[in-house]
Amino acid sequence: MLSYLIKRILLLAPVFLAVSAVIFLILHLIPGDPVDNLLKVGSSASKRAEIEARYGLDRPLIVQYGMWLGNVLQGDLGTSIVTRRPVSQLIGQTLPHSLQLGGLALLLSSVVGILLGVVAARARDRWPDRLVMGGVLLGSTLPSFWIGLILILVFSVQLGWFPVSGARGWSSLVLPVITIGLGGIALVARVTRVAMIDTAGRDFVLLLHAKGLPPSRILWRHVLRHAMIPVVTILALRIGWILGGAVTVEYVFARPGIGTTLIKALNQHDYPVVQACLLMLAIAVMLGTLLGDIIQALMDPRVREAIA
Amino acid sequence: MFHTVRRHLIAGSTCIAALMPLSLWAQEAVFVFGSSEVGIPNYNPLTAVNTNAAFTMIYDTLIEQDGDLSFHPHLAESWEEAADGKSWVFHLKPGVKFHNGDPLTADTIVQWIGMFRSSENSYMIDNVEKVEAIDDLTAKFVMKNPDPNLLYNLSSSFMAIPNPRVVTELGEDYGITEAVGTGPFKLESFTLGQETVLVRNDDYAWASPLAENQGPPHLAKLTFREIPEDSTAFLELKSGGVDALLSLPTDYLGEIAAEPSLALAKIPGQEVYYMPINVTKEPFTDIKVRQAAALAINQDEILKNVFSSYGQVAHNFLISALPESKIDPALDISFDPDKANALLDEAGWVKGADGIREKDGKKLTVALWTQSDSVFRRLTEVVQAELKTVGFDPQIQTFDSSVIRDEYKKGEQQLAVRSYFWNNADIVDWFFGGDRVGYPNISMFNDPKAEELRAKAMTGSATQEERVANFLAYHAYVTSQFPYAPIYQPEQNMAFNKDRLVVPEVIHGNSVTGTVVQDISVKE
Repeated sequence: MLSYLIKRILLLAPVFLAVSAVIFLILHLIPGDPVDNLLKVGSSASKRAEIEARYGLDRPLIVQYGMWLGNVLQGDLGTSIVTRRPVSQLIGQTLPHSLQLGGLALLLSSVVGILLGVVAARARDRWPDRLVMGGVLLGSTLPSFWIGLILILVFSVQLGWFPVSGARGWSSLVLPVITIGLGGIALVARVTRVAMIDTAGRDFVLLLHAKGLPPSRILWRHVLRHAMIPVVTILALRIGWILGGAVTVEYVFARPGIGTTLIKALNQHDYPVVQACLLMLAIAVMLGTLLGDIIQALMDPRVREAIA
Repeated sequence: MFHTVRRHLIAGSTCIAALMPLSLWAQEAVFVFGSSEVGIPNYNPLTAVNTNAAFTMIYDTLIEQDGDLSFHPHLAESWEEAADGKSWVFHLKPGVKFHNGDPLTADTIVQWIGMFRSSENSYMIDNVEKVEAIDDLTAKFVMKNPDPNLLYNLSSSFMAIPNPRVVTELGEDYGITEAVGTGPFKLESFTLGQETVLVRNDDYAWASPLAENQGPPHLAKLTFREIPEDSTAFLELKSGGVDALLSLPTDYLGEIAAEPSLALAKIPGQEVYYMPINVTKEPFTDIKVRQAAALAINQDEILKNVFSSYGQVAHNFLISALPESKIDPALDISFDPDKANALLDEAGWVKGADGIREKDGKKLTVALWTQSDSVFRRLTEVVQAELKTVGFDPQIQTFDSSVIRDEYKKGEQQLAVRSYFWNNADIVDWFFGGDRVGYPNISMFNDPKAEELRAKAMTGSATQEERVANFLAYHAYVTSQFPYAPIYQPEQNMAFNKDRLVVPEVIHGNSVTGTVVQDISVKE
């Protein structure tokens, strides 16, 4: 198991290298000049050159990449071109907000999603199943941007239960968490339902029935446990989505976080900040996948044996 | 279990109840910045590339400008310009103190101008040779060249006066953790991209005479929030979560009338929508084709249908509050489809069966660029339809607002729909100056006669009257060459909750400044 873990972690290194190169290059390929944002009406060419030199923008791309990667590995994400503050400080301030929002949304989608999936599987092809699956279809197709605004309209403007936007206390978390969570609930419910139905038809379940075990015990102790393997994989992949999926939702709800920071930095061509935000998103995805693999290994004896 | 939940709920609602009276009755208000004001990195006017309304609350300027663009005293009680324009003397108001207690004297002005030289906006004092302190309260600006625009620059929020000592002490931290000015409010906290909290400066006794209230502001605490999404900001206002939106997007103007608790405070506009015409791209190298395109724009129709009759039409390049906008009415550009058709006929473009004109087997197909914001997309579709009626075949190309500037730099555009935000005639120089071809001069206009008039307007005026006359001539000539078509001038609208706020009938400022907020209070 330990060697599997080490191997799995070492495998992340080339992935990280590739991802970092892509993040760095994409930004330099899109049109846009950050220096323009720092110069005002009537600034001279020498002022431009001075600013370019200050941020190393005058050097060859490959040198810029090498310097950036070296600094990133030492935990230095650079200095924001717009705010002139360390990017790590900015990330440090916004990341907790995103993690809180994404973490709660993930929790909501796992609990509600699994429950709905079980309900749908047990009531297969009857009305509760159709209701859940219809809801799932809506939840996974409606854009979160739109859902967010509708939730604000109903629960904040009409009913006045929650604040419209901002990050003041727990009540302001409710609507954004639901907005992000809906997509996850839909996904988890669908996967759970399919896995449950599939497992329920397996020979070992038939055997358990034949042995005379109570159906509820079979369902919760055996079928669900077995069906959880693909669900956990999906959930682990959603960990990466915790940060990425929140981008538009943070924007709609005017919350601080990696998403709003990313959008603003993109508009201002603030390269170092955009790079750091994308890097955070990439790291979240990589860690999520790693975690998913490990949990799967722990849960599935076949994978465990294959490793041993 | 249920018991605990209920207890928490009750405790929660008691907390809310305890907070409610505070925010309901105290002189505390929450404003939302306009979308062009979001994302300010700090409150240091010496490094600012953009400023927001809170700058004008934390800091004061020497001069104040009213909505009608007239100049009024603020930290400078009075001033005199030498007859030859080579010097200005400013008499400072006595007793002015920074938030940390330091007095504001002529020496402060000398130090501040010295620091401003190395700021991002140093061009504003390019014509200033040096500043001398004659006595404690008298500062003399010695000029390299006469600059009638000095008063305008001194009233700009970029020339808000920070405490030079604290700026030096704090360095890069200045404006983030602390910002020390002489303004009606003190900076309590600033969270990047989220909110700025200001508290009343109880010592304030030097408001501009433009404000009725000459003492400390009525509001004890003023919070500014940054909400990037317009619809969210509007819903916050509608639900009572905030008290005012400093700049209501045009799309929501109609909704205000439907809400009994909401009202608008109108501030003269500083923005102009226009259609730049690239004079270096076929077929617009022909002035007749340029003129035809300009005359095809139906300004009245656009005002009515796109902007629901809010704001006013534009007939030349400058906002109508500026004296330099009063060019010979014969040169103003107004909708005239008959003349547009006649001009295109003359230029050899013949209407085909499909209504699109042709010349030498080539159709009059042109690219019409716009940016992705909804107001631009809607306006551009109307402009496209209007150009079609005289025989153009405009193809709309939409760019994200963050990248369109870089696309302009390549110079491939033919027509575009844009807007600018500025209240000084020198904007003509910025967008049509021959040395700025590509960007910002996206009309690629470079004309020897215009350059001559431009030089005279920019540096050859000793007095304000001369400057106005020179800019009138420059502006009129540029307009006569049709490198652009004027479209529309919006108003600025502050939307506020009238059940909560008392806002003066007339806003004395060209935006919601500290001077304007002096007279705003919460209903008791």
